[in-house]
Amino acid sequence: MLTIENLDCRYGQVIAVSGLSLEIAKGELVTLIGSNGAGKSTTLKAISGLLKPSAGRILFEGVDITGASPREILARGIAHCPEGRRVFPQMSVEENLEMGSFLRRDAAGIAADKARLYERFPILLERRTQAAGTLSGGEQQMLAISRALMSRPKLVLFDEPSLGLAPNIVERTFDIIRQIRSEGTTVALVEQNAYAALELSDRAYVLEQGHMTLSGPARGLLADPHVQSAYLGTSDAIPVN
Amino acid sequence: MRPGALDRDQRRFSLDQLLQHGLNAIILGGTYALLGIGLTLIFGIMKVVNFTHGEVYAFGAYVMFALVMPLGVNFFVALVLAMALGILLGAAIELLLLSRLRDADIDTTMLVMIGAWIAMQNTEQLAWTGVAHSIKNPFPPEPLVWGALSVSWNRLFVFAVASLLIAGTYYLVNWTKFGKALRATFQDRDTAALMGVRIDRVNTATFALGSGLAAAAGALLGPVFVVVPTMGDLAASKAFAIVILGGLGSVVGATVGGFILAFAEELGSGYISSGYRDAMGFVLIILILLVRPTGLFALKERIS
Ligand SMILES: Nc1ncnc2c1ncn2[C@@H]1O[C@H](COP(=O)(O)OP(=O)(O)OP(=O)(O)O)[C@@H](O)[C@H]1O
Ligand SMILES: [Mg+2]
Repeated sequence: MLTIENLDCRYGQVIAVSGLSLEIAKGELVTLIGSNGAGKSTTLKAISGLLKPSAGRILFEGVDITGASPREILARGIAHCPEGRRVFPQMSVEENLEMGSFLRRDAAGIAADKARLYERFPILLERRTQAAGTLSGGEQQMLAISRALMSRPKLVLFDEPSLGLAPNIVERTFDIIRQIRSEGTTVALVEQNAYAALELSDRAYVLEQGHMTLSGPARGLLADPHVQSAYLGTSDAIPVN
Repeated sequence: MRPGALDRDQRRFSLDQLLQHGLNAIILGGTYALLGIGLTLIFGIMKVVNFTHGEVYAFGAYVMFALVMPLGVNFFVALVLAMALGILLGAAIELLLLSRLRDADIDTTMLVMIGAWIAMQNTEQLAWTGVAHSIKNPFPPEPLVWGALSVSWNRLFVFAVASLLIAGTYYLVNWTKFGKALRATFQDRDTAALMGVRIDRVNTATFALGSGLAAAAGALLGPVFVVVPTMGDLAASKAFAIVILGGLGSVVGATVGGFILAFAEELGSGYISSGYRDAMGFVLIILILLVRPTGLFALKERIS
C-alpha cells in the first residue's frame, strides 16, 4: 500500500533521514521505533506532505506522492495524527472534528461519522461545545484520533499517541489503535513506548540517527537483544514472553 | 437668577457635551474597528506586520475621490468599487510580494513591506499631488438633530456601513467554512494543512479581506475628512494601536479596541485639548503594554 524508497530528508544542513526504505501492506499495523531525534516524525511528515523530501520516492497505492501537497495526500486517503496531539485549541470539540472532514462534501456521511465517534467517545459529546484547548491531555488525544478518522482514511499515521498520558489512558489509546486496525484501516505507528507498540504491531522498523538499522516481525524484535537493551529498558524489568 | 439654576444649566450643558462626544466616538469607532480588524486578521494569520495597511486605506479614499469627483460616478457605486479594488490591491500585494517571502525572515519581510508602503505613498502623491482634496457626498448638508445632539447624515451612513461590514466579517470568520479554515490556520498552520486547508490561499484571501476592510474605511472617511497622500500614516498608527489594544488576531478585540480608541480620542480632545486627539492612541498603547501586554482580549488557552 505504501512504499518508501531511499528517502532523504533534511532541514537546511541537518540530515534528519537518509536512505530510508520501508513498506507497509494493506491492513497492516507497522511501528517505527527509535530514540529522540532518530527521524521518526520527519518520516511521517514526508509521507503526509508537510515536508518535501530531498531525495527518494514515496508511493501510495502505486501512485507517486513524493512532494505532493498535504491536501492531495489526504485526499488520497492518508491521515496524519501529529505528535503532541495538535488539536485547534480555541476551536470547539465539534469544530475540530469538522476540520477533520474538511475535504469531504457528503454532509450525511460526515454527520453519521461524527455521531459514531461521539458514541465511541462519550466524553467528546459531553465537551462538544467546549474549546479543545481546555480538554485534558487524554481527552485531547481522543479528539485528535477522532479528527484523523473523520477523513475516512485508508492509512493513518500516528505520531507518539501515548506521549505524556497517564498509564490507563495509554492503554486505552493502544486499544483504540488496535480497533481502528481491526476495522480495516492500515496503521503506521511511531512510538517511544516500544514495548506496547511492538506487542500491538505486525512488523516494525528501528530508526537510528536517520538510518533504518533493523526491521522485521514485531515478535522477533521484541526478542532481539539489541532492541531489548536500547528500547525496552533492562530486559529483566519487562517480561518478554 | 438663583445660583442653583446656573449650576443646573451648566451641568445640563456638560452632560449634553459628554453625550455628543460619546455619539461622535461611536460613529468614529465603527471605521476604526474596520481598520483594526483588517490589520489584526493579517497579523494573526500571516504573522506579517503590514505596513501597507494605511496606504490601502488611503488608496480606498483616493479611488473614491477619483471616481466621484473627476469621473462623476455615483457615490454608492464608487464606494463598492473602492472596496473591490482594495481587495484586488491586497491580493496583488500578497501574490507579488508576500507569497515569495514565505520562507524569508521577519526582518526581510518587514523591509519589503516598508518599501511597499513608501512606494505606495509616493505613487499617491505623484498621481494626485500633495494637495488635499475633498469628496462631495450626496447627503443632506443639515445635520440630524435630536435634542442637543446632532450628527451629520454622512457620518450616520459611515457608521451604518461600517457596522454591516463588521457584522459580515464576524459572520465570515465564525460561521463559514472559509472562516473555520482561517481560524485553524491561525491556531496551528501545519495541522490546518494536514486537514487539507490550502494555506497559501488562506494567506491571499486574508490579506485581500484585510485590505478590503482598510480600503472601505478610507472610502467611508474620505468624504468625511479630506484626502491627502499622508493620510495613511495616521490611519496605520491608529490601526496598530487598536490591534495592540484588542490582542493579536481577535476580531472582537479589534472591534472593541476601535471603539475604545475612538472614545479616548473624543474625550481626550474634548476635555484635555484638541491637540491631543491623535496622541491618545499612543497613550493607550503605552498604558496597555504596561498593564496587559497581550491586549485586552488575549485568547486564553491551555497547551498541555
Ligand atoms: N524544524 C526543524 N529544523 C531543524 N532540524 C529539525 C527540525 N525538525 C527536526 N529536526 C532535526 O531532525 C532530526 C530528526 O527529528 P525528528 O523530529 O524526526 O525526530 P523524532 O524521531 O521524531 O524524535 P522524537 O522522538 O524526539 O519525536 C533531529 O535531529 C532534529 O533535531
Ligand atoms: Mg517525533
